[in-house]
Amino acid sequence: MVRGVSLVYGIYLLLPIVLLLVGSVGQSWTNSLLPSGLTGQWYVDLWQDGSFRRAFVNSLTVAGATCVIDLLLAVPLAYSLYHGARRRGSLAARIVSVMPVAVPTITLGFGYMIVFNTDLMPWLGSMPLLIAAHVIHTLPYLTHTLLADLRHLQPEKLEQAAATLGASGWQQFAGVVLPNLRHSMVSGLVMVAAISVGEFNLSNLLVSFQNRTYPVVLLQAFYGATGFACAATVILLLLACASALISSRAFRHA
Amino acid sequence: MSLILDHVSYTYPGTAHGLHDVSIDVKRGELVAVIGPSGSGKSTLLKLVSGLSTGHSGRIALGGEDLSGKPVHQRELGMVFQSYALFPHLSVLDNVAYGLKLRKVATAERRRRAQELLETVGLGSYAASAVTQLSGGQQQRVALARALAIDPKALLLDEPLAALDAGIRGHLRDQIRQLQQRFGATTLLVTHDQEEALTMADRVAVLKDGRLLQLATPRDIYTRPATRAVAEFVGLSTLLPGRVSAPDRVDVGFAELKTATGARPVGQPVIALIRPEHMQPDPAPDALNRFAGEAGQQRYLGSVVRYDFLVPGAPHRFLAESPVPAVAAVGIAPEHIHLLDE
Repeated sequence: MVRGVSLVYGIYLLLPIVLLLVGSVGQSWTNSLLPSGLTGQWYVDLWQDGSFRRAFVNSLTVAGATCVIDLLLAVPLAYSLYHGARRRGSLAARIVSVMPVAVPTITLGFGYMIVFNTDLMPWLGSMPLLIAAHVIHTLPYLTHTLLADLRHLQPEKLEQAAATLGASGWQQFAGVVLPNLRHSMVSGLVMVAAISVGEFNLSNLLVSFQNRTYPVVLLQAFYGATGFACAATVILLLLACASALISSRAFRHA
Repeated sequence: MSLILDHVSYTYPGTAHGLHDVSIDVKRGELVAVIGPSGSGKSTLLKLVSGLSTGHSGRIALGGEDLSGKPVHQRELGMVFQSYALFPHLSVLDNVAYGLKLRKVATAERRRRAQELLETVGLGSYAASAVTQLSGGQQQRVALARALAIDPKALLLDEPLAALDAGIRGHLRDQIRQLQQRFGATTLLVTHDQEEALTMADRVAVLKDGRLLQLATPRDIYTRPATRAVAEFVGLSTLLPGRVSAPDRVDVGFAELKTATGARPVGQPVIALIRPEHMQPDPAPDALNRFAGEAGQQRYLGSVVRYDFLVPGAPHRFLAESPVPAVAAVGIAPEHIHLLDE
């Protein structure tokens, strides 16, 4: 039973990816099960398309900035939530951990469109606003991952031990708590990078033409040749994998 | 350095629990064990000394210097926790060297000293290991080395052996005591294990409900407990309530005991305490304090048998220990009856 379910799940997950890979190197694909002919032309076309190249760079920029800002916010946030939650219930912690599931991105996006399309705050379409939106959307994922790790680690005993050995509050945090959170930081950042790169709803509503991210540009591709659209999608997949990898690598070296 | 707690009181916010007027002096190089049932305030006491809890009244002084204004990290106390609290991201050697690193001791020097301490606790070959690879007993020895590495003014041991298996516990108990004496460390040991306290300590402080019941040598605590609570908490005993019926006579209802009553007036209520090893099996018929009866349940402990002895008319069973259980009677020498005033 379990095996059957996982098999069906696996097929539904992997089959589209396999078909995209096949389609991206197929010469023509209309009204048939599989495409005919073998070509690398779609990838060459993609490479020569300026708007895709720009979108590629935009996506990496947004994802990178999102990761950095998330990290700066999530670590102190998770830490104070952990200590606060032990004292006064865990309502705040729960809100933060369910928010990404409960609030649809399209709701956030429409809200931003209204707020930031005013004379007072005319920032709709700007890169910082897009990054801020991505931060809002992804922050709970990283915070939640760190919070779970903190609950598992129970750092207060370690902090007490460090204190008796002469560590000040900051030294306890930087020298004992942070290094022990490194694994959850990496896995949380991988998730943040992957979500940011693939994010469509928010980005589609908030970006200007110049700042379009890869998924937004990708939508255009589906009005053209199937092979081109497949190739562009494969690139998105690679982009997501790469940014996840880069974010974890960059962190490990830092 | 000497550690002095002078009329220390502390109340947990919103409760009546805490410590009430506790005074304990730990002399230079001395090991004082604080024992008591859970909730007795023994952990609170250690937290106040370490600075992990603050807000007491009274005075806590180390080497003559009042500690109350000092934060934890400036007190220079070595602390060992029940949960070991080793840093999982550091190697065994780096754990021991951590305090030295904070004190800006040069790398080569602190590695040398950490290695030396690891040799001392018998873990010299584990320097490069991850702490998670060590057994509980080994981890606690690393924690001890880490605490000693900073050359602490006093050592605080918070139930250091409670999480370990019985076999390792006895061994590590001896090792901790040896190291404590070798380093001449003024030490406060908190434990709920009376055997640990009696075997390791120079003096034992018994706490109950936040109050200090007695502070004395292990021998005095065992043979001459100050109160019934101390007698019940430390060691096993038979307690017989009664009253002084005549000089050197105590009426316990079903019999009259012969024992020194000191200056107590006739009629004063007392409790007679007899330790199980002082119940002499089948004494001579003319022996003092001889009680006829029969043996009840027996527990074989190897060197002795611990058994109940049922005396007709007695309010409860006697508890006795001897290589061979009594058959028909037990006798109690007058000098082995300790009277408690209560």
